[in-house]
Amino acid sequence: MSCRPERVTALVDGALGASEAAAVQSHVDRCPGCRSQAAFEQALRRSLRALPQPELPLGLEARLRARLHERRPPGRLSWALLPIAAVLLLGFWGRACAPLVAWELSRDHDACYARTAPPLRVRSGDAQVVTAWFARSGTRLPEIPGRLGAAALLGARYCYMPDVSATPHLFYDSAARPLSLFVVPHHVRMGETFRTGSRGNTVELVRLGEHIVGVVGRNGDDVAAAARRLRERAVVEPHRPVE
Amino acid sequence: MPHARALYGTAFRLTHNQEDAEDLVQETLLRAYRGFSGFRPGSNARAWLFTILHRVRTDVLRKRGRSPNTVEMLDEGPGVAPEHEAILTAGNEDVQRALAEVPEVFRSALLLRDVEEFSYDEIARILGVPVGTVMSRIHRGRAHLRRALATRAT
Repeated sequence: MSCRPERVTALVDGALGASEAAAVQSHVDRCPGCRSQAAFEQALRRSLRALPQPELPLGLEARLRARLHERRPPGRLSWALLPIAAVLLLGFWGRACAPLVAWELSRDHDACYARTAPPLRVRSGDAQVVTAWFARSGTRLPEIPGRLGAAALLGARYCYMPDVSATPHLFYDSAARPLSLFVVPHHVRMGETFRTGSRGNTVELVRLGEHIVGVVGRNGDDVAAAARRLRERAVVEPHRPVE
Repeated sequence: MPHARALYGTAFRLTHNQEDAEDLVQETLLRAYRGFSGFRPGSNARAWLFTILHRVRTDVLRKRGRSPNTVEMLDEGPGVAPEHEAILTAGNEDVQRALAEVPEVFRSALLLRDVEEFSYDEIARILGVPVGTVMSRIHRGRAHLRRALATRAT
């Protein structure tokens, strides 16, 4: 076997298979040059292993930790997002909560009637005209009456609730005893009806088929009568989809 | 921070410069952290980190217009005096200086083997080269050191 210096290196490192190692070892035993190489490499390995490890620069670990902290891997939920997630979750939960919905409708009723004239977008006492106006923007209303007790339909508009849902708001009025009828555009956790006082108003939420309608007014009797009338109409006049 | 010291040791011996070594380690650990989902549980985390370190180093050298895996034709020179005693008398300082003179392509293989104690197979995976190339690089690295130390001893 002739000298194969690279194999001698591999022999020193124990990187040869058994039969090749035996063959190379037998050559090394007989060859002074290869024996010297092997001896040198063994001594060198010990020497390199014994070299002192360079010291970590002062503050490197702290700088590393700071940089690792500022660059979080994508896809991992940052703790900073948790409060936002909590607010969104609360909002989602809150919008289906009947007392909160009642409060929102009451607040909107006050805001709209606080003006010198109700801010109507469609002005008509004809329920069909108002229903058709909403239908043009893709909103289907339940069967609505032209009068709620003594109060007559004035017109309607969309009002925006705190969760930015566009809510049809219908205005009814009689002798300074205004009533509002809202068609709530989302699910509300409640039974067939929900009645409460909010901000000095009475609010009654009524389930009419797939819709939830809110009646709001200062006078509790007016509100009760209006809600009763809505429920009766829903029974005798089943819902007719608007074309 | 596990392995940071070993990574820094290799980085420093590759770059000979504290600032470059620190950048190398920082980038290595950041890449490791970002790519942690690619790490296979049960595989060797230390080898994985050294693989990243050498990739980062390769990228840095490429950016500087240096190809990390080629080396100028080395003059192997006339046969070296066979005395291996040179290494026995050499102090740490001499060995460190001689190591610094070894071209990086060989030095990186040598450090992985003789300082970090990786096997040839592991070094092949870390450097992305065949095992035969690893053997050749380690051999040539040691031959360089042998000449450098013999020269110093004379």
